[in-house]
Amino acid sequence: MERGREKTKVFDGSNTSTGRLASSSFLDTLASFFEGRGAFLFLVPALILIGIFVVFPVVWDVYVSLTNASLVGPSARHYSFVGFYNYVRLFRDFLFINSLKVSFAFTVLSALIGQAFLGLALAMISRMEGIRGKMIVTTIVFIAWVIPGVVSGYAWSAVTAQQGLIASILSLFGYKVKYALYFTHPFWVIVIANIWRGTAFSMILFTAALEGIPRYIYEAAEVDGATPWQRFRHVILPLISQAILVDFILITIWTFGVFALPYMILGPGGGRGNAGQIWTLYIYFKAIDNFDIALAAAASNVMFVIVLALIIAYLWSMKHFRRW
Amino acid sequence: MVVEKNYALTAVIYIFLAVVFAFFIGPILWLILSAFNPNASPAFTLPSHFSLVNFKKLLVPVGNVIPLQWILNSLIISLASASIATGVSILSAYVFARYTFKGQGAMLTTFVILRLVPPIVIALPIMILYKWWHLIDTYTGVILVLSALILPFALLVAESFFRSLPVEYEEAAMVDGCSRFGAFLRITLHLAIPGITTIWLLSFVTAWSQFVIPLMILRNPALMPGTVGLSYFFGEYGRVDFGRLSAFSVLFSLPVVIIFLAVQRYLRRGIAGLVSR
Repeated sequence: MERGREKTKVFDGSNTSTGRLASSSFLDTLASFFEGRGAFLFLVPALILIGIFVVFPVVWDVYVSLTNASLVGPSARHYSFVGFYNYVRLFRDFLFINSLKVSFAFTVLSALIGQAFLGLALAMISRMEGIRGKMIVTTIVFIAWVIPGVVSGYAWSAVTAQQGLIASILSLFGYKVKYALYFTHPFWVIVIANIWRGTAFSMILFTAALEGIPRYIYEAAEVDGATPWQRFRHVILPLISQAILVDFILITIWTFGVFALPYMILGPGGGRGNAGQIWTLYIYFKAIDNFDIALAAAASNVMFVIVLALIIAYLWSMKHFRRW
Repeated sequence: MVVEKNYALTAVIYIFLAVVFAFFIGPILWLILSAFNPNASPAFTLPSHFSLVNFKKLLVPVGNVIPLQWILNSLIISLASASIATGVSILSAYVFARYTFKGQGAMLTTFVILRLVPPIVIALPIMILYKWWHLIDTYTGVILVLSALILPFALLVAESFFRSLPVEYEEAAMVDGCSRFGAFLRITLHLAIPGITTIWLLSFVTAWSQFVIPLMILRNPALMPGTVGLSYFFGEYGRVDFGRLSAFSVLFSLPVVIIFLAVQRYLRRGIAGLVSR
């Protein structure tokens, strides 16, 4: 057999002309060493890397939050254990409570409503026949998703400037913009910008889910005289409910972690009156601008617990409510 | 779904698509137009004449760093991080895909969770730890933490990819006298080259776009990657040179957009895998 001959050629060790197999004697030594349970040594590099640079920092963060550490000054070098004092300070901090509210509203409006709805609408349209130009639209939506967040933030700060694109569109409708929109409406600017940035994921996910529905199901509903709305509500929606849940989990978590986009548009303060200061900006603001590392660490831990709870809650609901 | 009979619905769909198209292309179009505009401003206007003067300005130092250096720094950091993450993930993914052991499920679940942790949660403690480890303002520091950050993603993708390759090829090689590891190296790894390339490319673009971690551990402008460089540029006091910033943004985004369009098909398949279980 052709295939069999190829293999023996590979394994007699004589075929060194391909270059790839030139070092086969060294590899054979390595191979015998890693035989059997030795293969578990392959896990070591990954576990070390993740252990030192991801897991340990997250645990270390808990320790820092129980001290009075600071970025500069005497308590930067010699700090002491203060118990849960930082958590008490945190929940008394008006800015932290504000950032919780802003993050919540930001996530609901930009991800769960904006990205998911727009993504579903685009996915439905891209499944329709006889609509022209849908490929161009979905490609542009995709590009908006992949360009680095810093660049999108820069572009959106220009587009929402006093003489930017949105201001010129508003002036066509007779609405004169006197100040930059990111100054007058910081929260809404980052909501819209985040819809722009993240819609592609929901669109791709829902397109895949809709492709999984057999065509005869649509046709059966059509034959039975269901209106387009009825078909959507009673046929399509139940069939993609799992996709909706997966989508909601992931876009919620990703939107919780968004940093570059609001940082570039509003800065760490989150704009006028801290109206757009989501929790990632709050942590950066406290740690870098106020040197208050311990408080930032406490805030980071609280948010980490919330993100974990979100993951678990969604995973649980996925198991138990397959169908709505 | 066929809509040709429903003219009202078709019209609504076209209007909707036009609005969505305008919304999504607006900021991108402004970025490109202002990059070629010698008198760029936030205003959305066609340049009086197309010129490359903004791109030439990327060779003029800001402080004592030429902006092009930042793109080079991004290249060094992303190449190294993507290669480390991919290499390490292949080794572990092989064990996860071909062996069963205690705690395997728990470890995979942990990787799923770690993959979703927002980078700022790691950035803050890493900044404190790096002060002690003397890794602030070093490439080693950035590369190691970015590799670790990308690793869970690379590992999960590699694991599912190895699992999809039939184990029979390896078994046949072992019957022919190859060791288990040798079979993996000579058979599975060769079959996996397209998949590994995709993992490497996706790791590369993830590293390329990382912002908050390098922002917090790199203070020396000469070492900054493009993302931090752009924010440093933009945050400078005085008049903002939009033309130069846009030229930089276009140049910096180009590799990412090209890579993503190239691996689009694999990416879509990966996302589809989330729902077809």
